[in-house]
This record gives sequence, C-alpha cells and structure tokens, in this order.
Amino acid sequence: MSRLVFAAAAIFALFAAPLVFSEHRIVLMNYVGIATLVATGLYLLTSIGGLISFGQAAFVGVGAYTTAYLATAHAMPAGLTLVIMLAVNFALALLVGAITLRLSGYYLSIATIAWGLGAYYLFGTLDMLGGHTGIGNIPGITVLGVSLTQARAFFYLEWSIVIAMMIAVHNLLHSREGRAVRALKSGGVMVSAMGIDIFRTRIAIFVAAAMLAAIAGWLFAYMQRFVSPAPFNLIASMEYLFMAVIGGTGSVVAALLGAGIVVALKDVLTNTLPKLLGSNVNIEALVFGVAVVAILQWSPGGLWSLARRVGGVLPALRTPDRSPSGGRTLPRKLRKDPGAELLSITNVGKRFAGLVAIDDVTMSVRAGEIVALIGPNGAGKTTLFNIITGVLKPSSGTVSFCGDQVSGRLPNRITELGISRTFQHVKLVPTMTTLENVALGTHLRGRAGFVAASLRAERAENAGMLGEAAAQIARVGLQGKEALSPTDLPLGDQRIVEIARALASDPYLLLLDEPAAGLRLTEKRALADLLRSLRAEGLGIVLVEHDMEFVMGLADRVVVMNFGRQIAEGTPADVQSDREVIRAYLGEEA
Amino acid sequence: MDFGIFTFLLQDGLNSAAIYCLMAIAIILVFTTTRVLFVAQGDFLVLGALTLSQLQLGRVPGTVWILAGLALLAFAMEGAQALRERSRRRALRAVLFCLLVPALVGGGVAWFSGKELGLAIDILATIALVGPIGPLLYRIAFQPLADKSILVLMVVATAVHFVIISLSLIFFGAEGWRTPALTDAQFALGPVLISGQVIAIIVTSLLLIVVLFLFFSNSVYGKSLIATASNRVGARLMGISTAQSGMLSFAMASAIGCVSGILIGSITTIYYDTGLVLTLKGLIAAVFGGLASFPAAAAGAVILGLIESYSAFFASAYKEIILFSLLIPLLMWRFVLAGHQDLEEEA
Amino acid sequence: MEFRKKMGHVLAAALSVSVMATAAAAEIRIGVLLSTTGPNASIGIPYNNMLTVVPDTFGGESFRLIHLNDASDPSTSVRNARKVINEDKVDIIIGGSSSPAALAIAEVAEETQTPFLALSAVNQQVKGMDWVFVVPHAVDTMLTPVVNDMKAEGVTRVGYIGYSDAWGDIVLGAFQAITEGTGISVVAEERFARADTSVAGQVLKLVAARPDAVLVGASGVAAALPNVTLVERGFKGPIFHTHATIIPEFLRVGGAKVEGAIAPSGPFVVGEQLPEDHPLKATAAAAAALYEAAFGAGSKNAFAGYSYDAFVLAATAAVKAAETAEPGTGAYRAAVRAAIENSGDEVIGATAIYAMTPEDHTGVDERSVVLVQVTDGAFKLKP
Repeated sequence: MSRLVFAAAAIFALFAAPLVFSEHRIVLMNYVGIATLVATGLYLLTSIGGLISFGQAAFVGVGAYTTAYLATAHAMPAGLTLVIMLAVNFALALLVGAITLRLSGYYLSIATIAWGLGAYYLFGTLDMLGGHTGIGNIPGITVLGVSLTQARAFFYLEWSIVIAMMIAVHNLLHSREGRAVRALKSGGVMVSAMGIDIFRTRIAIFVAAAMLAAIAGWLFAYMQRFVSPAPFNLIASMEYLFMAVIGGTGSVVAALLGAGIVVALKDVLTNTLPKLLGSNVNIEALVFGVAVVAILQWSPGGLWSLARRVGGVLPALRTPDRSPSGGRTLPRKLRKDPGAELLSITNVGKRFAGLVAIDDVTMSVRAGEIVALIGPNGAGKTTLFNIITGVLKPSSGTVSFCGDQVSGRLPNRITELGISRTFQHVKLVPTMTTLENVALGTHLRGRAGFVAASLRAERAENAGMLGEAAAQIARVGLQGKEALSPTDLPLGDQRIVEIARALASDPYLLLLDEPAAGLRLTEKRALADLLRSLRAEGLGIVLVEHDMEFVMGLADRVVVMNFGRQIAEGTPADVQSDREVIRAYLGEEA
Repeated sequence: MDFGIFTFLLQDGLNSAAIYCLMAIAIILVFTTTRVLFVAQGDFLVLGALTLSQLQLGRVPGTVWILAGLALLAFAMEGAQALRERSRRRALRAVLFCLLVPALVGGGVAWFSGKELGLAIDILATIALVGPIGPLLYRIAFQPLADKSILVLMVVATAVHFVIISLSLIFFGAEGWRTPALTDAQFALGPVLISGQVIAIIVTSLLLIVVLFLFFSNSVYGKSLIATASNRVGARLMGISTAQSGMLSFAMASAIGCVSGILIGSITTIYYDTGLVLTLKGLIAAVFGGLASFPAAAAGAVILGLIESYSAFFASAYKEIILFSLLIPLLMWRFVLAGHQDLEEEA
Repeated sequence: MEFRKKMGHVLAAALSVSVMATAAAAEIRIGVLLSTTGPNASIGIPYNNMLTVVPDTFGGESFRLIHLNDASDPSTSVRNARKVINEDKVDIIIGGSSSPAALAIAEVAEETQTPFLALSAVNQQVKGMDWVFVVPHAVDTMLTPVVNDMKAEGVTRVGYIGYSDAWGDIVLGAFQAITEGTGISVVAEERFARADTSVAGQVLKLVAARPDAVLVGASGVAAALPNVTLVERGFKGPIFHTHATIIPEFLRVGGAKVEGAIAPSGPFVVGEQLPEDHPLKATAAAAAALYEAAFGAGSKNAFAGYSYDAFVLAATAAVKAAETAEPGTGAYRAAVRAAIENSGDEVIGATAIYAMTPEDHTGVDERSVVLVQVTDGAFKLKP
C-alpha cells in the first residue's frame, strides 16, 4: 500500500513541475519523457528479456517520420497519425523481428545494427521525407481544442502517456506472459520446457519495445515540430541502450532513472562544462562510456539496484502484490486411467559427432506407475530426458506420447501434450520469487496475452495461476517460502520447487532428474510420500536417481542404462539380482 | 563499363576488401578468444593513422596522453589487486607493464618527435604507442567482466568505442588527416596502373591471414587461446590464464588496427570517427566467416569490397543502404548453416 | 602554450563576468548555437572559435555571447534555441552550422520573434520568414562567378560529385538553376559520404561521362578526396569547389593533388591579396588578425569570416536598436530586426558587404565573391 502512496505522490509531484520549473527544465523533462519511453522498451527487451537492440532509434525515427509526413503532406490530425504510425511500426517491427529473432543472441544484435543503419540512411535518402534536411512545419498537436505547442502544456500529454506506458509494462511483467519474458534469460531449455514459445515471446517484446519507441517518435514529431535524420542514427540507439544499462534492472522505474540521468547529464556536459573549461571539449561521450563500464563492473544491476542497496529501504525482492488468494480455479485435464500407456520409446538412439550417447533404448511408461531410470554417470539418462522433451532430436527410433509421435516436435509443443520435467542442474529464475517461479509452470493453463496483461484485464486468470502455484508449493511442503528468491533456498529445496513447478502444469507424465539429491533423510521420506500420492492420482513418473534406497523403495519398474545402452529392465527385485547390472553398476558400488 | 573501369573498380574493391579483412580478422580474433564483439576495433585504425600523421608533422601525438592515462588506470587496478592478494609478483608486473613500459614508449616518442627521423621510425613509434592500448583497455574494461555474457561484453565494447572517439576528438580535432604515402611505386597491369600502396595493403592482409591461420591451427599457444574462449574453466584448469590470453588477443587486435591505419592513412582521409563504419563493414565480413573462420571472413571482405566499389559506381546514393541491408540475408544464411542449435547452446 | 591561452580565456571570462556584474544594466545577449562536436564539428568549431574572440563591447554597448553546442543534432539545436530565448533572454541568435540545424532554429526564431542570423546558406528554405537572416552568401550568388568562369573557359559538360546530404542537394540544385539555358549541363551526378574511404567508383563514372569540368559539392577536408581521386585518375579539366571548402586543412590533406582547384569565396580568406581599394580590405585584415592571434598564424578560414560578420551584423543592429528600446524586451528584438532589415547604408563585414531589406534577408551580391585557386599550396586570388 505504501508503495502505491509513494507512486501517487511522485506522480503528483511530477505533474506539479510545470508550475514550478523554468521553461528549459520543462523542455528538458519532455526530452526525458521521450527517452524514458524508449528506455522502457529497452528495459523490457534488454534488461529483462536479454536481447540487445541497436535499432531502437530507428523505430523512433520511423514513428517520427511517419507522423511528420502524414501531418504535413496529408494534414492529418494527431489521433489519426498515431493510429497509422502505430500500424506502420507494428508491421515493420514484426517483419524485422521475424527475420532477426530466429537468430541467437549476438547475431540478433548485429542484425539490429544493420536495421538501424539502413533505416537511418533511408531517412536521408528518400525525397518524400525531405532528404537530409528533414521535414519542418509540423502543425502542433491539439487535444480537445487545447493547443499543446507550449512545452508546459505538452508536458502533461507526454508524461500521461509515459506513466501509462510504464504502468502497462509493469503490469505486463507481473503477468503470465511477463513471467515468461522474465524467464527468457535463464536459458531456452527450461523456458521451452514450461511450454513457452520462445520465438513468439521474443517477437512480442521486440514489437512492444518498438511500439514504445514509435510512440516516443510520435511525441517527438509533435514536440519538436521538425524531424531530420540525425537523432535517429546508430549513436542515438547506443545512447538509448546506455540509458537502459545505467538505469539498471529491478523495476521499470529504472528506465526513467537511466533516461533522466543521461539526458540531464548530456545537457550539463555539452553546455555547462565547456563554459567552465572555456573550450570545446567533447566530454559527454567520454563520461557516458566510462559510466557504463564502471556501472557494469561495480553494479551490474545499474543505478536502480545501487540506489536500492544504498537506500536499503525497499526489500530486495518485491513481495507478490497480487496475493495468491485466488485458490485453485484453473481447469484441470481429465486424468488418464491407471495403466493406460503414456510414453513409448522405441529403438531410440542418439549420436553426437560419431560418439554414441544412446544406443537402441526401448521402454514405456504407463499412467499410475513410477519408473526409475538408473545407471552410472554418463550412461545417457539425461540425454534420454532431453530426447523425450524435444530438446534433442533422436538420431534413430521414435518417441510417442499417448499414441502421438512426439520426436521432432518443439519442446514447448511436447509440454503442451502433458509432459513436465525437472532438471539435474536446477534451473530457477533468480530474479523471480519462488511463487512466480512455480507459476511459470502454469503457463499453458492460462491464455491471457500481452495486451490483456498490460491492461490488467486478466486479473482473475492470473490470480488463479498464482493460486495454483501456491497450492503446489503447499503440496510439496514449502509453504511460507513463496516470497523468497529461490537463491535463498537450500539446494534441496530448490529441487523441490522445480517439482512444484512441474506439477503446476498439470501433467500426465512427470520426468524428475535427481530430485532427491541434497535432501535430508526426513525430506526424502516426504518426497517419496509425495510421489506415491501422485502415482495414486494416476500420474506417470520417470525418475533419474542415484540414491538406490530411495529408488528401490519407490519404483514399480527400474530401467538400467550403461554407456548409452539399456542393460536391464524389471521390478526392483529383478534388477537387483541381474548379473549384468551387478557387474556394470551395482557391482562397482558394492 | 569498359575493361579499364572494370579492373580499376576491381582494384579499388580489393583495396577496401583488404582493410575490411584486417578488421574482420581482428574482430574474429578478439571474439574467439574473449567473446567480446569488439565494435571499437576501427578506432585502433583511426588512432594508428592519426598518430602517424601527427608524428610526421613533428608533433607529439595525443596518443601519448591516452596511453599514459590508460596505463595509470591499469596500474591502479593491478596495484589494488596486488595489494589484495599480497602478491609481490603481481605488483612487480604492474610496475613493469603498466608504468615502465608505457613511460618508456610515451616518453621516448615525446622525446623523439620533431627530430625528423624518417617515416620508418615514425611508423615504429606509432605501433609502439597504439599497440599497448589494446591490452590496457582489456585490463581496464573487459577483464573484470570476463565471465559475463556476450551481450554485456558487447555493451562494454560500445562504451569503449564512445570513450575512444571522444578522446580522439579531443586530441586530434574534428578535421580529417592524411599520412604520407608509404611508396610512390606504380605498376602497369595492362591498361591499369596499380599503386604500390594498394599492393602493400593487400599483401599485408594476406600475410596476416596466413600467419594467424597457422598460429591458431598449428601452434600450441594459438590453440590454447581458442581453448580459453570455448571453455574458460577448463582452460584455467589447464593453466591457461584467461587474463593473459585476453590481453594477448587485444594486443594483436590493436596492432592489426594500427597497421591498417598506417596502410590506409595515405590513400584516404581519416577522421576521429571514421572507425565505426569500418568496424561495421569488418563485422559484416566477420559474420560471413561465422565469427570463426579467417578464410571465410576474407572471402566475405572481398565480396563486400567489390559490392561497395561497384555499387559506388552504379548507385552511389544508395551504397550504404545496399551494403547494410546485405547483412540480414547473410545472417539468415549463417543461421541456416548453424542449424537449430539454439536450445543446447544456451543450456 | 595552448594551455596558457586557455587559461587566459578563462581569466578574461572571469574578469568580464565580474565587470559585467557591476554594470549589467544594458548588456545585450547573443545566443551562439553551433555544433562543436559530432559530424558537423569541423564547420562548427571555426565558426564558434571566432565568436569566442570577438570584442565584448561594440559601439559603446556591452555584449554577452552565450555558446551552446548541439552536438550536430538539429533537435538539440531546437532545445538550445528555446533555452537561450527563455532562460538567458537573448536578443539575437547566431548559429546553425548545418542547414538542418539552421532550419530547425529558424522555426523557433519565428515562433518566439527573435532575430536569427543563420550561418548556413539556407536562403531558399527561409524565404518568407520574418526573423531569419542568412549570413553566408547564397549558394547561387557563390556559384555565379563559378559559372561565369566555366563559360569563359568554354566548359559545357559538367560532372557533379557531392555529399549525399542536404549540402550536396543544395549545391546541385543551385548550380542547375543558374546554368539553366546557358548551354552548360550536368552530365553526371554522383554522391559520396563524408566518411567514405574511397570514391573511386563515383570518380570513374564521372570521368567516363567525359565532362569538361567537375564541380565538387562537399565541404572542408572531405572535398579533397574526390579532387585527389580525380587527379589520380588523370582528369585534366578544371575542378571547382564550393566556398565551404576554403579551410587550411583542405590544402594540408590534399597536398599537391589539389593544386589548381578553384573555389568561390568571400574575400576574407584572401584579404591580404585584395587590391588596396577593395572595400573589404581593412575589415578582413582586422578580423584575420583577431582570429590568428588566438588560433595561430595561417588558421583563418572562410567560416571564421562568416561568424565574424554575423557578429558585426548583430552588433551593429543591436547598437542602433538600443536607441529606441531596452534590451531583453520584445520591442527591442523587433527594433533589432528592423535595424538589420534596413541596413541600407550597407554593413561592411570581413567577408561580404550586407545590404539587407525586408524582402532580401541575405543582402550579399556578387561584389562580395571572389574566385580563389590553389596555387603553390595556398589559396590565391584567381586573376
């Protein structure tokens, strides 16, 4: 609540600024607002989504130029230019995104350099856009009959938009799709195992960032009433990126912080400092460059996290503001009858550059049974999990689930069918609370998209997802830990959180990779009880585990692998007496 | 277009190609060893060319001050670390590499400048001044972040670019400079005159490709450089210091950049901010080589140089747009070549 | 040396500030809005340099110049213009080192009714604006002697190579307008960028069109590259440049290969070569002395001449306006504008004679243009 009061007070203070400050301050603040919009987009795209774009200024440019052209050549009113400009940018961002976002990491960044430069040169070359001279005499904007040509009047329009957009992004980040975005940096395997379509999510944030940049361009055109190519070049894109880096992560307010500091500092450095030194020293680029390196070295979370650390007022991780009071309202899948075949693996093999990782494995899992997959390190157990979940494609053989062939499908598609997993090396998102991490698992059980999330029109569904997450956390016995960061939990508990996350997707089949590692004896017993009750509910469970006592007391069937080969299969008792198993595996242990 | 024009454009294109190739080689070298996508590579070229031009005029180049500043900063960082580690060896190394060597080089150049010792000495002085800037920059900006993601390193590189261009503007001014020609020799090849300078550029870059290729594929040190990039922990276990390999590759990058600047400085005008465009073109060539293969990058540089040369002839107003829009289909092609490794790579 | 000079400036500035603090009453403020960093810095710096050494007092009035750098970004020029107008209450603005910047400032000047002396040749674009005056010669005024020279030499086919930016467009447009119907035609049109490292392709195409002469629409040092490449490709005809090329660095970079290049210019850069009876002889010498005292012998350039003249125009009008109104008021700005517009008695600057009228906001005619030719590594008055 106090946070809300604080935010309201800040907004009130902001809106009082035009009554207090000089014209130049207000003009400067208008520039800050425009930069904040772009930086907010980059907060979403870069700070959270982990994608670096060197092309944001080009999107600002497309927005500004489209507006300028329509407002001058066709004398269109501002409302209409906004709609058309957004449509143009949307199409363009989608196109650029569709081409570049299939590329990974740094290739994407290189591609955005090309896009940014290409657009910049095009602005200067097209006669329609006034060539290098640009377009002037853009009529001022009028809202409800009030002309907003004066900086003070424009301030209110602009900052209303900026604040609205910041709230929208904040809302988005605490929604179903927002959690997906926040998980992006934690690696593709985990994210797609949650059923999240990485490509679609990347496109969505790329387009969202481009739209924010475009709105900034629209405002720019009406504020400046003059556009030329210079403000939209590669250097400008780099400066926007610097704003995002300097501002940092932790809250969307960081974008405002970064933009404010860069714009204000630039004004001081280009104008005040040379006056004091009495010379024309180009110092602002130097200062920004040094500042960015220093921040990345000393405070990778940017000034926002630095300020928070220094201030120490606000807690490190926000407590979930949408309390999981929703209860378990999400619809559940119909259970499979116990004994129905879920997973069927037939003659599956996998080679890496000639090296055989898995050789001709055939096994099946039915609803309501626990199958343990055991074998020494390097036996190919995790590789088999990766094949089942679509992370790897089998070199030979087929995997089918409930009668549908799954090998060849994308991991997120396979998750949709009802397979859920945990990881040998825990993959939780450190910047999200435990509750939010578990809620990632419910991704496929909701449908609200980015727009609904920005407007918080999906409150009921989101509450249901968080409620489900809370219920799963309670079920695995971690209630009370919802608001903690997973990094604050012991490793054993982190594995349990992964199980809760996997259960949150309401799967038919659960793949657990060493769930008991790092657990104390009592915790192991609790885990075994949990798995038994899941089995009783009709879930199929595949378990990779080294703790033989745990496995043998729990599993209905055991599959033993060694050097990629399946060397035995049967009840725990059968396997324990198998000669080859004893020689290859248990024998060594004994 | 007659044969004469065709061959002249060919020569011009190969000339640019050689420079892009040198850029691409340095970019790949730095990327494969440190994972830094070094967008400030072209700025070394600028420093090389401008430093030589100043020496030729008998002035003390501003590079001396840049070197001094970086050396002091690096000394502070190294010294602090030596104190923390209580390592006398590290402290000695800091004094030697961050104080004595830069002081000798900078002081020497300041002392000798204006004495008209001839082009050869000036060129050596230029390399001695610009060469150490690479490793110093690595020590100051990149080494503390060496285990961060490629994207963080890329932002740092961008910031470093900002720093170098503003220092260049402060020390060399906004106007462009040219250096004297290394050679006035001309060779007749049929109807076309080929200047010795162009041949020098092409031969130098070919030589560098071959040397680097051999270095990385045959020498133990070269292989270990690559190893530090692909597996930092493993390399550390094998006793290869990532810090040393990083500084070595940055030293090579700044030396290559400096040499390119010396080569190109007499056939075109170099401004303080010429570097970025050259880096980006080198980057396109490097992407052509998948940021890994020197020969493929060289081929990319040739294609790029030729396209640029011929498009300047046919549609000069659209030259840049043509060049940079090439990158997207190129990246798509690389992506198809690389296949769907996305998930595993990130995992 | 450099440093001491800087310290000198700082001290002088500090002194003048303290002096002004006691007698700040009738101080006249001029906003100087130029690009001292970024791509246009090579033009903006000499413009700005001259305006740092112009006198503090003129005609008995004291002046304060407020310098703001727009870093070659026209949107910053707009912001700076609003700042000096609203915060520093300037009476006059001088600036706009590139045409986009000048046009951007011009719109603010019109809106806020502030006299603006533009330092880019934006004559065409600002026609009809009441508060904007253009100091540099109009491009067509400059190119007229060039065309006359071409006619005299029997040139009919001209190859054009210019920047792929606004300046490249303006020069070509003006040249085509003047040569309309004269029998001179542009047979090849090529573009290049300031940062290009090679213009071989463009030059080949130019040469292939077999022009009698080439016109280079570039500025400063960058104009040397096409010139040098043309010479290297064996082009023997005359190579013409614009007045934006007249800076010492052009000679330094071009060396022997720009020998013989011809360019129009205000008389300032060849002031010492002017005949004794030339009306600009004395002012050009005075301005050159002022500049070279601060920035070194041989440092004078065409840009410095223009910004000096901008100051003279502004100061002359400001002094006259001070008789009727109080500085810092709207009435005063209107009086300044009227004074500039009615300089029927002709203001004599360092590089041109200005006779502005309400209809003509440039006021420079061909008397103020000379042709110079690079001879023995220096700009020499072309006979």
